[in-house]
Amino acid sequence: MSHSATDSMPRGRSWRNIRQEVTPHALSSRGRKRRHLNWLKSAALGALVLAAAWGVHWAAVTWSDRAALAKVVHSPKLAEPVLITDGVLPQKWVKDALALPASARLMSLDLAALRARLQAHGQVQVAVLTRSFPDTLVATLRERTPVARLQVQDGAGTPQQLLVARDGTVYEGVNYDQDMITTLPWLAGITLRRQGAGYAPISGMDAVARLLATAQTEAPWLYRDWIIVSLARLASHGELMVRTQDVGGHRMEEIVFSRKQDYYKQLARLDFILEQSRDRVDRLPVRVDLTLDGQATVLFDGEVQARLPAAPARTFFNPQPPAVQPKARRDF
Amino acid sequence: MISSSSRIIGAVEIGTGKTVALAGEITRGRSLNIIGVGVAPSRGVMKGEVVDYKAACEAAHQALEMAEKRAGARLEEVWLAQTGGHLDAFYNEASANVKSADNTVTAMDISTVCALAKEKELPAGRTRIHEIRRPFRLDGRAVPDPEHLTGHRLEVGYWIVHGHEGKVSDNIHVVGGYHLEVRELVLSSLASGSLLTSAEERAHGVLVLDIGKGITDYVLYRDGSVAATGTLAVGGDHLTNDIAIGLRITTAQAETLKLRHGRATVQTRDKSEKVWLNGEMSFGDRQVSKLALETIGSARVWELLEVVRKKLGAKFAPEHCGAGVVLTGGTSRLPGIDEAAARVFGLPARRGEAPGWVKDELQNPMFSTVLGVFQFGLRNAHDHVVPVRPKGGLLNSLGRIFA
Repeated sequence: MSHSATDSMPRGRSWRNIRQEVTPHALSSRGRKRRHLNWLKSAALGALVLAAAWGVHWAAVTWSDRAALAKVVHSPKLAEPVLITDGVLPQKWVKDALALPASARLMSLDLAALRARLQAHGQVQVAVLTRSFPDTLVATLRERTPVARLQVQDGAGTPQQLLVARDGTVYEGVNYDQDMITTLPWLAGITLRRQGAGYAPISGMDAVARLLATAQTEAPWLYRDWIIVSLARLASHGELMVRTQDVGGHRMEEIVFSRKQDYYKQLARLDFILEQSRDRVDRLPVRVDLTLDGQATVLFDGEVQARLPAAPARTFFNPQPPAVQPKARRDF
Repeated sequence: MISSSSRIIGAVEIGTGKTVALAGEITRGRSLNIIGVGVAPSRGVMKGEVVDYKAACEAAHQALEMAEKRAGARLEEVWLAQTGGHLDAFYNEASANVKSADNTVTAMDISTVCALAKEKELPAGRTRIHEIRRPFRLDGRAVPDPEHLTGHRLEVGYWIVHGHEGKVSDNIHVVGGYHLEVRELVLSSLASGSLLTSAEERAHGVLVLDIGKGITDYVLYRDGSVAATGTLAVGGDHLTNDIAIGLRITTAQAETLKLRHGRATVQTRDKSEKVWLNGEMSFGDRQVSKLALETIGSARVWELLEVVRKKLGAKFAPEHCGAGVVLTGGTSRLPGIDEAAARVFGLPARRGEAPGWVKDELQNPMFSTVLGVFQFGLRNAHDHVVPVRPKGGLLNSLGRIFA
């Protein structure tokens, strides 16, 4: 215990008990200036401390994130990729297309390269790859829908069926329902050009797709007989030629549509012609040219056909504007 | 450059004539480096007491600001010299029997006897400034530290310095008005004595007289410790007044005359010897008797010293004051004052000289007290009396940046 010779910290009534703070009015101008400066410095110090605290917090969060990332990078095994698609591609196809090595880790994947690998297939329109921590790769796909098909021969002369999407992309369809594929018309009158490992898109397919879509939705009884759609005169004359099959005595061989006219009206005119010819003409039309605005040229078969049995009740087109058409006979 | 382990402390003396502020960098609680000096003529202070707060603040803050500017740093706290006619002191001692069975003095015995010796109540309105312990006595023999020694009876005495609470507060508030805290209050006489005398001189016995403009402080050391302290509300101003009255001149003229021709002893024998009042020999200037001037000075100084001797009373004995008398303060520059002191006290007297570590520019006696405040504070800090808090760590370092 130390007892110094001079105790300047006495207990009891000591000068140390004297209140040292003075009222603001008792501060001199120099004192006030000094006090304000102290406040500023305290505020600056406080801000600095807060900034330091935030920095420590940020560092801690970053450190923990890095730790999590490091954990992911060093995760033992990548799980099976997950597929989310609006089409028909199976998960196995994605797995095969990605061809991820067994040693791959989630953080080591080159998503851009993998995405390009998926999009290299024509059926995939858009592919989005996301990492789902800790170990899963998620592939979200938007697929193309085929509107037609065509047949080519590979180098060995083996016929190969390809599908064509609305945007003209030619691709091998994977996992489509075969029944659906058989309903697609064939394309003709085109020249396929190689592009990379596949084919260059077919130009003018948008016109074909619109025609087919209109026919499929508005006149399916006509569409189902369409076998071939030729684009041979599309570029030069703006005409689409549709070859049909003779089903149930409809001796129809060729229909010519104009790209410049409304497909809906053209189909209605065709339907009207077929209806009239069945009811009133004893010969069957073999070629209908709908490219004339508001009119049609019909080439009839030279033979007289036997009277066909009454057609089953069905909807049909009226070439007149819908306003004058009886409602009971329209359902589209 | 201010190091991170140092503190910037101000030592301030609010005197009657001048307010002096020093900025000192204290490193590791031991080493002192004076880095700034500020001096301003005092106003609003009479006989060491604040009578006009605003005027006193103006002068003190001017000195503090000057010291800070010269130091290039902001003061963190202030050690303040305290003087004034209101200060008083008394001696109180106590004794206690050693409690342990083997008569070994324990820390508890020491603590008990110290508490008893300091227990005395002060009159109303008084506040303690210092409690200065004298050496312990164990069975009558003086011992610096009785712990673990063997004995029956332990005695100790304290020299307790106290002052008028309001006047002490006024002094502190002058510093507070500069938005600074007074961390230590040091009696001016102790400060001067601490600086101007060596431990050896204090052991032999020495009397230190700090004669200022309005106040005379004194401290008597015996056997290495403080035997008495005191304050007289008399200083150089009184001498000036007496000269003014005696020679029928203005106070300013008297002050000039005192500084030029004043003496504390009569040296002139020729009654006809004259000195010029203003020294300019211009219109209105006149001659005054040098003998009269010296007689007045001698009488007043003699009287002052006699009063000090009288106040010391039995505590002062020439045979116990081997190191003589040391004079300091502005009035100590009066020629012959050492001779007068030697005659009055019957001891060799000299003007105090600051130690060698004090820079030349601070050798002036007016800096004795503030330098002594530092020295006294540091010594006590070393004795664990002044709490020197460690100032390490990041926050303190940051704080220092903004200080």
